[in-house]
Amino acid sequence: MEILVENVSQIFGAAPHQVVALDHVTHRFPSQKVTCILGPSGCGKSTLTQIIGGIEPCSAGQITIGDGRAGLGSQSVMMWQSLNLFPWRSVVENVAFGLEVAGVSKAERTEKGKKLLASVGLRGFHDHYPRQLSGGMRQRVALARALILERPILLMDEPFAALDAQTKIVMQEELIRIYEASKQTILFVTHAIDEAILLGDEIVVMTARPGRIKDVITVDLPRPRSQELVGTPEFGKLYKYILHLIREEVQNAMAQEDLAVAAS
Amino acid sequence: MSATITSVRGSPLLQRALPSLIVLGVIVGWEALVELNGLAPIYLPAPSSILRYLWVMLADGSMEYNLGITFLRIMAGFLVAAISGVIVGVVMGMSPLAARIVDPWIAALYPLPKISLIPLLIIWLGTGETYKIFISAISAFFPIVISSYSGIGQVDQGLLKAAKDLGASQVQVQTKIVIPAAMPSIIAGLHLGMGVTVILVVAAEMIGGSSQSGMGYLLVNAGQVMETEKVFASLIVLAVFGAALTYAQRWVDRIIAPWAQGKV
Repeated sequence: MEILVENVSQIFGAAPHQVVALDHVTHRFPSQKVTCILGPSGCGKSTLTQIIGGIEPCSAGQITIGDGRAGLGSQSVMMWQSLNLFPWRSVVENVAFGLEVAGVSKAERTEKGKKLLASVGLRGFHDHYPRQLSGGMRQRVALARALILERPILLMDEPFAALDAQTKIVMQEELIRIYEASKQTILFVTHAIDEAILLGDEIVVMTARPGRIKDVITVDLPRPRSQELVGTPEFGKLYKYILHLIREEVQNAMAQEDLAVAAS
Repeated sequence: MSATITSVRGSPLLQRALPSLIVLGVIVGWEALVELNGLAPIYLPAPSSILRYLWVMLADGSMEYNLGITFLRIMAGFLVAAISGVIVGVVMGMSPLAARIVDPWIAALYPLPKISLIPLLIIWLGTGETYKIFISAISAFFPIVISSYSGIGQVDQGLLKAAKDLGASQVQVQTKIVIPAAMPSIIAGLHLGMGVTVILVVAAEMIGGSSQSGMGYLLVNAGQVMETEKVFASLIVLAVFGAALTYAQRWVDRIIAPWAQGKV
């Protein structure tokens, strides 16, 4: 499902201490593609995703989901950076939460939850609590909890940022596999360039605060993809180009922070 | 010297027995102190004679009777405080208006030593059961309200956002997320409340208890006739009883909120 973002701005706080997190962002996120949003910390990439997901209202601008008839948030589901699993619920109760609040019967939602857990490699773990699982397993629970609603849009806010390198690779390939099977529209926020190239059909590079779109890069690498791609010359070329863009922005962001420290 | 330390560290059995050995040592030392110095039992009875008195009081049923009465008063006071305290705390946590209305009352009444209310309560309620239950309930009420209220205020905003994103309604967010998430704080408040209830019930039995029953009455009565052995026997029973209450409460906690214990 296509997402059209037009002139979206987000301003936090009141003058004179206001912070412009997003400044007139306009972009058309293509349907059934993976778009990676890449940028330095504090560039507003998480904020943009939350606005698209209907989780946060924006100060100005317009979001149109699909043909515009569906309400904001009703077609999408978020996988959070901090996962936000419910610690008092078992794994299957976490996964089935979306069905539970929608009124699906316990037998049905438990069955569906277990099936989905098995498909992400967590067969037999349904009665565990989140804290009993490793970081990678918790990621899978969070992913399953988002997937169970079968919404056409999946929003992912740096979900793999806290993982160790090996687990991250496994989760990226898991996501590629799920995407190839479901062809959802995925918005994937990241600050890792290699992750953005590996996963994205398109990469939206954002500027340091105020967040604007600096460049949109089409990733024309063949699918289905795997980690092997990382060594190829095409990958290297894209990486170098994006690194150059990002380096400028990170330096800008650091300069801003220095100014802010000096002013305070 | 260092050899002793090593051997204690090296022997898990000795390490585990050490606390009990210290208790035993204190009792033996106490017995020796009394016997060797010929101390009058009025000032410090020997552990052996305390034990004899304890046995007599258990045998004639006076200890069980008074402890039972005190236990019932504690339970009555605690239940009243727990139910009203959790309800008020939760309502305050969910409704900012309720919090604004109740807050000044709590700010004024919480620091007031509840024992100072005893004269007024005796004038109003007499010295019967209502007075004892009321004084203990009102004392336990405040820690329970404050913990419940702050527990609800400290619920991770990420969990609330995640639940809403998964389709939970306002009511579902409150019942399925806010209350379970606040459970550890509510439980902590109930523990504090229980401790306060024990203190106030025994104090109320000591001061103006017309029913001539309960551990507080037993203590005051024994003290007035200089039966120091009985005083000690009652104190020991109260201490063991307090420990039993704490353990029982932890056991209940594990049943109602296993995720809050860090043991699931």
